Amino acid sequence: MPGPLRLRHLTRRFGALTALDDLTFDVPAGQVTGFLGHNGAGKTTTMRAVFGLTDLDSGEVRWDDAPLSQEQRRRFGYMPEERGLYPAMPVGDQLRYLGRLHGLSARAAERAVDTWLERLGLPGRAASKVEELSHGNQQRVQLAAALLHDPDLLVLDEPLSGLDPTGMDAIGEVLVDQARAGKCVLFSSHQLDQVEDLCETVVIIAHGHLVATGTVDELAAGGPRRLVVRVAGDRDATWAKELPGVSISESERGAVRLILDEATDSDTVLRAAMTAGRVTEFVFERRRLSEVFREAIA
Amino acid sequence: MKNSLPFVLLAISATVAAIRIRSRLRARAAKNAKPAKDGQLAEAAKPKRPARAWLDSDLITVSPRAHELGLVAGRELSERLRGRLFRIGTLLILVAVAAAIVIPTLHKNHPTPQNVGVVSTLTPAVQSAVRSAASAAAAGTGTTATLITEPDAAAARDAVHAGRLTVAVIDDPNQGVNLLVDESPDPKATSVTAQFVRSLSVVLGEDASFQSAGLTTQQASQVADTRPLSISSLRPAAKRPSGAFSVIGIILIFMMLTQYNTWTLMGVMEEKSSRVAEVLLSAVRPARLLAGKVLGIGVAAFAQAALIVTFALVVAQSVGSTLMRGSGPLAVAASLTWLLLGYAFYSWVYAAAGSLAERRDQVQSVALPLSMPILFGYAISLSTITSGAPSTFYRVLAYLPPTAPFAMPTLVGFGDVAWWQFAASVVVSLVATVGVARFAAVVYRRSILRTGRRVGLRDLFGGARPQPSAGN
Repeated sequence: MPGPLRLRHLTRRFGALTALDDLTFDVPAGQVTGFLGHNGAGKTTTMRAVFGLTDLDSGEVRWDDAPLSQEQRRRFGYMPEERGLYPAMPVGDQLRYLGRLHGLSARAAERAVDTWLERLGLPGRAASKVEELSHGNQQRVQLAAALLHDPDLLVLDEPLSGLDPTGMDAIGEVLVDQARAGKCVLFSSHQLDQVEDLCETVVIIAHGHLVATGTVDELAAGGPRRLVVRVAGDRDATWAKELPGVSISESERGAVRLILDEATDSDTVLRAAMTAGRVTEFVFERRRLSEVFREAIA
Repeated sequence: MKNSLPFVLLAISATVAAIRIRSRLRARAAKNAKPAKDGQLAEAAKPKRPARAWLDSDLITVSPRAHELGLVAGRELSERLRGRLFRIGTLLILVAVAAAIVIPTLHKNHPTPQNVGVVSTLTPAVQSAVRSAASAAAAGTGTTATLITEPDAAAARDAVHAGRLTVAVIDDPNQGVNLLVDESPDPKATSVTAQFVRSLSVVLGEDASFQSAGLTTQQASQVADTRPLSISSLRPAAKRPSGAFSVIGIILIFMMLTQYNTWTLMGVMEEKSSRVAEVLLSAVRPARLLAGKVLGIGVAAFAQAALIVTFALVVAQSVGSTLMRGSGPLAVAASLTWLLLGYAFYSWVYAAAGSLAERRDQVQSVALPLSMPILFGYAISLSTITSGAPSTFYRVLAYLPPTAPFAMPTLVGFGDVAWWQFAASVVVSLVATVGVARFAAVVYRRSILRTGRRVGLRDLFGGARPQPSAGN
């Protein structure tokens, strides 16, 4: 397996603003790593630093425990947040060109373009200009551009933004396949439910420094117990509001999500619920990634 | 010369046909590339490898640097050649060049025949004098004269007014015999008609003088046939530019430098604004991307320039234009050399400037100061060619890289430059180009990825600069 990608003490200042602040984490091979943070947390700057697209004040990006070379960078695939393709150039020509810049022979580029257009649901669009495609299809072409040369590392900045569920599924499937094939995959997203489904590992940053990292299971397992209770006919879950040692995390169409203090007995909660009405749902749940995220950046 | 027009038309239509056939073939190839049914790629109808394959050969095993450079340059070249604007623009330039060469020769070779009216009330002696004077004047000005007899002065006046006669010889009770034209001619006018009328008036005037002096016909013709004495000089005549080509060459260099530099500028700006630059630079070093761009556009530009000049030479040859006589070929070679050097020098500057801008409106403010030295070199060269005497200042300009592309070929046209002076200027220009390229690469690297607003030079070089990233 190639890699891993190691980011070590990355620091980047733009005038008074510190975009990256001694940021250190790894992107392991064979997994999809989700990269989370609020807007302006430094995700894009980090990703650009991997490709040498932004200068660093200090710190280093390493690959397989060696400093990153330009040759190795060519073996990476990058999908920037603001999509970058020639609007008036045919899709096929454009992808062949990009594939060859990444070191493919003319013949291999030709094959890769056909394969990926087919795989991403764009067969027969090789002669279309990029500007003639829908937003979703442009996004697929951009992803194809990052994948053509069978990269060791995929870095994708918001690959799911603006996509319909089918598009998200298609791209998600490709990311998981790449990880299964032993590649390093790092992607940023604000769609936390998708990240939870796709990723094994998650990195959360705020204000340019690391606030949490680990597998989704590890992160979700931590923290207080969560209980989802549904009482028929009580959409606002008024019964739960007065319970001692219990706080309401969220309430949704009659189902209330409760966070229990250490000392609180769940039987007390059940009894209170039964008093309020017929209990149709009573489930212990692990933390959601959205909760992990909110707590981490709070 | 009479057969020149078909030649020109043939050349133009051959070019048009070639371009049409090429674009039709491409369209067919693109159509074939589409699969017969959705989801199935027709194996036999895969898109052909693009025409740039010759630049596209697998260099990667030999040299990754040459491979990248070739790829970037190849894309630029094929994008230019694919562009409709490029094809139509080239065609329009060819038509303009053909017109500029052919029209003067047509004008020279087919002067309007002159109709001379003679009033029948004039004495037969005067009428025959007009006849011989008209043919003499016509021969002198390279035209033909036809004599038309008018019944009286009033009829002749009407005919002149209506334009049927160029000039009428009438008998005026007050002035005696005189010439009548529609519009009073400018004494300096050089048109065939003006020369013919002046010549006719001189010959008829002389004739009248000889008659009143009582000379016999033989004596008169002897006096009329005087030859001027030859003049010898102590110093040779001042050198004049070889003529038309210097001007055409300077105009071509100006047009092409402006056009090609705009391509580079817009190309870089568009890569920045469409954010393709970010994708490209994740795989290619900035300096190589920049160099590939300059090289690719340069090849397209020089191919176009060579086509235009070859076309001009062929047309000039076939219509027997004097354009290419004398020092013409040398001036052509000098112009092409300096077009190339001028492009090499300016393209880096324009590419760096393009990386500062992100939108078309920003391009204007970036490009304007850069176009100043080009405009200056162009204007001062045209005025120097007109004056015929290059000043010392102008000779200095021939060694400064920004103005040398205009000044040096002009001096070559004057026949005023030794080979080593030419070579020295070339060397200065090449050295400067290397320096400019390095500077441009730095500006490009620092500004191509800064988006949002126009990047000022202070942003690039002022204040605390961040260190280059590790592993870079």
